[in-house]
Amino acid sequence: MAVDVSGSRHAFGVYRRSIGAYLRSIAEYPADFWVMAVSGTFWQIMLFAFLTILFGNVSTIDGWGYHEMLVLAGFLATSWSSTALLWDGIWDTGKMIVEGDMDYRITRPAPVLVQVGSKHVGMQVFGEATLGLVMLGIGWTGAGLGLGAVPTGLFLLLCAIVIQASLLTIANAANFWMKGRTPIIAFMVTELQNEAMRFPLTIFPAAVRLVLTFGLPLAFASFVPAQILTGRLDAWWLLAPPIAAAASAAVAVWVFRMGLRAYDSAGH
Amino acid sequence: MASVDLALATISFKRKIAYKTTWLFSVLFGGWSLLAGLAVWSNLIGDGEMGGYDWQAMKAYLIVGFLTSTLAWAGSDWEMANRILDGLVAVDLTKPVDFQRARAGEYIGGMAASVPAAILGTAAAVLIFRPAPPDSALAAVLTVVSVLFIFPLAFGITYLSVLTCFVTQRYLGIQWARDTMLAFFSGMMVPLALMPLWLQGVAWALPFVHFTTTPASIYLGRVDTAGALGLLAAEAAWAVGLWVIGRLIWSQLVKKVTVHGG
Repeated sequence: MAVDVSGSRHAFGVYRRSIGAYLRSIAEYPADFWVMAVSGTFWQIMLFAFLTILFGNVSTIDGWGYHEMLVLAGFLATSWSSTALLWDGIWDTGKMIVEGDMDYRITRPAPVLVQVGSKHVGMQVFGEATLGLVMLGIGWTGAGLGLGAVPTGLFLLLCAIVIQASLLTIANAANFWMKGRTPIIAFMVTELQNEAMRFPLTIFPAAVRLVLTFGLPLAFASFVPAQILTGRLDAWWLLAPPIAAAASAAVAVWVFRMGLRAYDSAGH
Repeated sequence: MASVDLALATISFKRKIAYKTTWLFSVLFGGWSLLAGLAVWSNLIGDGEMGGYDWQAMKAYLIVGFLTSTLAWAGSDWEMANRILDGLVAVDLTKPVDFQRARAGEYIGGMAASVPAAILGTAAAVLIFRPAPPDSALAAVLTVVSVLFIFPLAFGITYLSVLTCFVTQRYLGIQWARDTMLAFFSGMMVPLALMPLWLQGVAWALPFVHFTTTPASIYLGRVDTAGALGLLAAEAAWAVGLWVIGRLIWSQLVKKVTVHGG
């Protein structure tokens, strides 16, 4: 037990220093920071505009009003950008495998997964999170959610970050077995989330709903939390996101370990 | 086309299809976007219409968007950006090949690798979803021509965005900003007909509109033959204009290249 506590503390220390070093390095390249931050803002502005244009033509989307949709879109943007802030390095898994950089990580006295996940920070998050919070704020107020729901919202946000980080870890770890540096499975998960989860899941066929809820538990990172917050689901559903987060984190750690075992250095 | 252009395009084509799993998944990728779009717009339109699109017309619109976006996002933009970021551009300057032409050959070669998948995917979507047919045989031919213009247009826009790598250290943010503008102003996210008039004006003043709205409008007969020819002329003008602008910007930015030890 003492070993576990000490190991966790060491892993957290490595993570904190690695992320901290990258945040300091951002200051060295201000142009890149602003380009990324503006492009992150840009996407959220387009999404905001998309919803506003849509609701200029319809009054509800499958029973969801404008402000409820903003809660959904804002929650998704905020959780996704938080994941990019805390775990963006995982996107480099495929590149590190092909270029042999993974060898270097394996020889260091720190958990490989922590080293990879904390390799860098997605600088776009500073724009994404800002607009995400704006959408969430407007939706929250317009949908009549009070300050009392904020702790629940923060708890659900934490679960969403763990679920998204875990799914990205699994998807990027697929590159241990696939050839090519492009994290194509991770792109697909991202695309799946961007395309499907910004709408109420109920508009999709039952098979898609089942896959996105119990197969890839993306629904627990946006749609289920938005339903809980807007009072569409009973309070006992609050148990579901932490269970989904714990299960997906356990699977992510296992898949990454299996990937490391299958890894046979650069060039495959 | 000179043999050197063809050689560069062939190399790029082969490089794209070398990683077959990646290539296959990239096709599935676009297929998912199409399915998601169909589910959303089916729910929104139902038996009625929005912005002049009934369900049959919207299916055709989305399938045209799938075809054009599969082509537009298949070029070798990262390879082009990395040449500048990694400094290989300094070596390119010593070669007896025009930089812009060489990159155009590579980019279009990369796009060509996606053509079989785009055609197969589109044919499958047409057979499964039965969208509205083209307004006329002439409309079908003009739609194909408008889709072909996407090759030089995609290169022109990508080349301009890649040139910013002379002043930044990373390409990712630039790529996102460009792709976001393309998705929104092309009408892939939401048809222009649903946008407020002022925003439609902005969209029509940009080249992105020709990636979805132009081919879909010609296909569905939302513009008459004269209008369709006008849109094709606008696409040609943008293709030439972007090429010239790219050349002018290159001539200024290339002065920033520092060859180490030189």
